[in-house]
Amino acid sequence: MKAYTLEIWRLRYFWLSLVKIDLNTRYRRSALGLGWSLLQNILMTIVLSVVFGTLFQLDIAFYAPFILIGLAYWGFLSSCVLMGATSLYNAEPYMKQHKVPVAIYPLRTVLGASFHFSIALVVAFVATLFFQGPEHLLAWPVTLMGFLLLFLFGWSLAVLTAFSNVYFPDVSHLLEVGMQIAFYATPIIYPLSMLEARGVGFLVTINPFSYHLELIRKPVLEGTLPDVTIILGAVGLTVLSAIFAIITLWKREDQIVLEL
Amino acid sequence: MTSLSLQKANLTFTVRKQGRLPLKEMVVSYLQGKHKYPKPIQVHALKGIDLELKEGDRLGILGHNGSGKSVLLRMLAGIYPPTAGKREAQGRIVSLFDIGLGFEMEATGWENITYRSYVMGMTPADVAEKREEIAEFTELKDALDLPIRCYSPGMLIRLAFAISTAVEPEILLVDEILSVGDIGFQKKAHERMLEMMDRAKIMVMVSHDLGAIQDVCNRAIWMNRGNIHAQGDCKTLIEQYSEAMKPAEPAPAPSEPEATSTEDSTAAAA
Repeated sequence: MKAYTLEIWRLRYFWLSLVKIDLNTRYRRSALGLGWSLLQNILMTIVLSVVFGTLFQLDIAFYAPFILIGLAYWGFLSSCVLMGATSLYNAEPYMKQHKVPVAIYPLRTVLGASFHFSIALVVAFVATLFFQGPEHLLAWPVTLMGFLLLFLFGWSLAVLTAFSNVYFPDVSHLLEVGMQIAFYATPIIYPLSMLEARGVGFLVTINPFSYHLELIRKPVLEGTLPDVTIILGAVGLTVLSAIFAIITLWKREDQIVLEL
Repeated sequence: MTSLSLQKANLTFTVRKQGRLPLKEMVVSYLQGKHKYPKPIQVHALKGIDLELKEGDRLGILGHNGSGKSVLLRMLAGIYPPTAGKREAQGRIVSLFDIGLGFEMEATGWENITYRSYVMGMTPADVAEKREEIAEFTELKDALDLPIRCYSPGMLIRLAFAISTAVEPEILLVDEILSVGDIGFQKKAHERMLEMMDRAKIMVMVSHDLGAIQDVCNRAIWMNRGNIHAQGDCKTLIEQYSEAMKPAEPAPAPSEPEATSTEDSTAAAA
């Protein structure tokens, strides 16, 4: 495993340049460039704030940053799962020419997604400063720790979906449907407390995508550490998915090219 | 010490006639208690190959289409793992096959030069050094600033060839790319190719151009139906092979007599 990691490191220029190409391609095509992906989240937040803020009677100073962080998080996670799923399929021409560690291709996807996520988070941070002032600033480094954990979680999910998509042709379609459902089962546009008040909080507890969100959002919005159960849940899920991802790579790394 | 070897290497592909089975179908039919999936076909592409290559070896691989030449080359490159048996390699491998694939179509010619150099293990310092030389060899000039989706197939293959031949190989694996581009470029490419083969410590080439093999190789193997049918000195083997590939005459040597080889040999000679 050490040799494998070193090989990935040796080829860092390769995957970094692929990430760079991905980002360039994405932004070259639109006049607003980087601004476009930000604008999307901001517009969505304005609409949601007006509609659901009124509906749920929520304070906009809390609700707007709340949604911004939630959307940024979901954007990252769904990119990892959905684009990760096609990452090996798209890499077929490389894989049939050069023997490089397969883990590089999901990494490419996750690094690109991380870039967008970072920018979206910065917007969310600015919005929080604007609406709430700097009172929770000290707790923000905790969010960065959460980011690292989420990165590993995202990469593990991307590896797992990428491999399953090679073995079963309908996985990426199923995942799309699944992620749409999961979006509503994750407290992105509604606060968890509203579900708990009505006794259906378990929906979120059994949702593996809700832990990392809380880990990232709570320090920014409330200036406190997340509950121990949240931290343990996020760490546990990350470790578990990483173990599965590593086992998958270890067992299938060489054979996967025969299935493409 | 550069070396490359296969010991009793086998490769079996699993081919499903109806394509892959969707996960949904599999789960549903499992729940219904049916387990009748279309049986996959096993293709035994390489059968117990033993091969030992040392420094100085220039191996030519002969055989008609579908005999396992390209698969063998990919296994030597480490891309296809042996499903049974062993492969050992010492030295930096550079492979020249499917070079037209694996481009980022939205990126410019320059960007593609950079990242394709990186995938072959170059560092930014190496790339800075080789970039201009690669660009010059392609003769594409200003077109290198364009996204390569605008390139013609000929331009693309020039780019691919220039990049792939810019590295210093210890082990060089070649699949039939001795002619690329227009006539002027072909000559240039041919020379560059020969130089590169010269520098490599071990070279393996698959080609239907028997003359080319005879020019650059000192050893040869003859593949038939996933087996090494015969091997030895390049000149002798090519004579035997050409003899066997002559039309009219029945294919003499294949150990398993079968109708297809006669058909194939006729087709190859036609």
